Amino acid sequence: MNNTNDPIIRLIEVSKRYGKFEALKEIDLDVRKGERIVVCGPSGSGKSTLIRCINRMEEHTSGQIIINGHELTDKTKDIDAVRSEIGMVFQSFNLFPHMTILKNLTIAQRLVRKTPKAEARDTAMHYLGRVKIPEQANKYPIQLSGGQQQRVAIARALCMKPQIMLFDEPTSALDPEMISEVLDVMVDLASDGMTMLCVTHEMGFARSVADRVIFMDHGQLIEQAEPETFFNHPQHERTALFLRQILRH
Amino acid sequence: MSVGIIMDAILRMLHGIGITFGLLGLSLAIGSIIAVLLLLMRISGRWWLSWPAQLYFYIFRGTPILVQIFIIYYGLPQFDWIRDSMFWSVLRDPFGCAIVALSLNVGAYVSEIFRGGVLSVDKGLLEAGAALGISTPQRFIYITAPLAIRISLPAYGNEIISLLKSTALASTITLADMTGIARTIVAETFAPYQIFISLALIYVTFTWIIQRTIRWTEGYLGRFTIR
Amino acid sequence: MDAMTGWWDDYFWASITVAEVFVCSLFFMVIFGLLGASAKLSSNAVARSLANTYTVFFRGTPEILVVLLMYFGSAVTLTAIAQLFDSSIRFVDIPPFWAGTIAIALVVGSYATETFRGAFSGVNPGSIEAARALGMSNTQTLFYVRIPEMWRLALPPFGNHMLSLIKDTALISIIGLNEMLFVAKQATSTTGKPFTMYIVVGVIYLGFSTIITLATMLLERFANRHVRRAP
Repeated sequence: MNNTNDPIIRLIEVSKRYGKFEALKEIDLDVRKGERIVVCGPSGSGKSTLIRCINRMEEHTSGQIIINGHELTDKTKDIDAVRSEIGMVFQSFNLFPHMTILKNLTIAQRLVRKTPKAEARDTAMHYLGRVKIPEQANKYPIQLSGGQQQRVAIARALCMKPQIMLFDEPTSALDPEMISEVLDVMVDLASDGMTMLCVTHEMGFARSVADRVIFMDHGQLIEQAEPETFFNHPQHERTALFLRQILRH
Repeated sequence: MSVGIIMDAILRMLHGIGITFGLLGLSLAIGSIIAVLLLLMRISGRWWLSWPAQLYFYIFRGTPILVQIFIIYYGLPQFDWIRDSMFWSVLRDPFGCAIVALSLNVGAYVSEIFRGGVLSVDKGLLEAGAALGISTPQRFIYITAPLAIRISLPAYGNEIISLLKSTALASTITLADMTGIARTIVAETFAPYQIFISLALIYVTFTWIIQRTIRWTEGYLGRFTIR
Repeated sequence: MDAMTGWWDDYFWASITVAEVFVCSLFFMVIFGLLGASAKLSSNAVARSLANTYTVFFRGTPEILVVLLMYFGSAVTLTAIAQLFDSSIRFVDIPPFWAGTIAIALVVGSYATETFRGAFSGVNPGSIEAARALGMSNTQTLFYVRIPEMWRLALPPFGNHMLSLIKDTALISIIGLNEMLFVAKQATSTTGKPFTMYIVVGVIYLGFSTIITLATMLLERFANRHVRRAP
């Protein structure tokens, strides 16, 4: 039904306002299947809002968001079905504290996909293996380190076998020594051909993994380019300034 | 007043334990169901549901339970249609009236307690549920409710204790609960200190037991969720 | 409502009585609460265990039982004392007004004890250290830092304690105080309209509660005026 060249995500003049404040200003963006995109920008630039609009955690005010050929509107009947195709990883992990790791990974499969229990369990154990903590299956989130919790959160999203993964600053809440274990999982995922949109400040990750880096400021999409061009020859003064600030150390 | 007479009085008062705990258990059960209904009305987001629930809470929080009991027990029979209705078998009985009044009260207070619990659940968890495609009612059942119950538990325990104390008001409409029996004994013996203080200590003991049980349950439910 | 004709007066005076009980018991409630809280926070083990006994007993005992105990207990004691002087005296009691006022103040005071204690220990220790570091004396710290901060913390539960007090005044009818439930009972026996008579009592109590709730809200707004975020 879809031509492989069609974008899996297409944003046309998407704007989002909170009262008077314009969080997103007429964003145009196409993402091809399998593309890995890193979104960066100063805080308050709208980068989180952008990816939160893609799975309708936030509703855009105007413009069109088309996922896999289906436009997201308030008339979208089954928003939950769309969401289950889009995995999301949050800054603060958001694991369900009252469920074991295994339950965290199976609950949505059981409720949304109606997967049989044994199959859901196998899927969960498979992805726990991929994020390299299968031995933690029967613990509760609080018993895990931050890095482990975030890896569980990634596995939880993967269990739904999504076509797109959204990462909203997945390493910002982590202690420095735990960042790399999460990034390793993300690199592994990228090499698998997953379509990924990552809001992150990890420029090393952007350089080595991204197909495209996007810079946002004040709700606008300022610049997008391949990492090589983006980091070495930024076109806009604001991008250059931002890069100087975060790469200074 | 010898120790023997106090012991006799205590034994007699303990005969009322069935009525006291019958009132407590039944009103707690019925009241908690009312509370859940009121809570759902309150968080429905529709004004014509949430507004009556708020009015209900306002009325029950703003009037003494004793007055509510009197309105139901002495007041309602003023109307013939009540005496002809199917509810009359409950409302002509002081026990039934006490249950109705206490349940309505528990419903009001517990719905507010549950609401506090629901509001305190981390919004990020609901977002995570939504991002996984879990529907709104399922998010409420599997994420909000278990966490809200754990958070509401201490306040719910206090409400059970308040309810235990309120059951003593049933003695004003002729019920022979522990307090009712104590009042009879005092009228016979005129030994208010011995009788009333013994009874107070019985209530204090039950309060303590309820507190312990709630604290234990709290620890049990929270064993992996306390941060 | 025709049945109410001739009874408005009685309800009016009865609600004045309720207001009087409320004001007097509020005064004693605050005193019991402050005494209890300072005992609980003191370094004296005897004071602490006395205060603990006080709160455990009154928070675990039905209010109605405390009212009965206060009234009949004091009556027995007073009668016994009076009979020492004049054996023909059969019964002496303290006025139900005072027995009831003290009883409900004791009960609600046990809750206020916890509120005040919590508010006192809830004051940010950093603020106190800062005051010390600036060279403020203990008394100055108490009046300029501790009390204003504590007051802000204690107000919301204190509002609830006032609501409990006003509602507990209804219990005093049981020991024969001429308040609203007492009037309703008399009115019922003459008019045969119990529902009307008791509903009026409910409505008047709702009015009192509304006033208390609004007053608490205003006080809270005043107490929080400098901690609200700029719009």
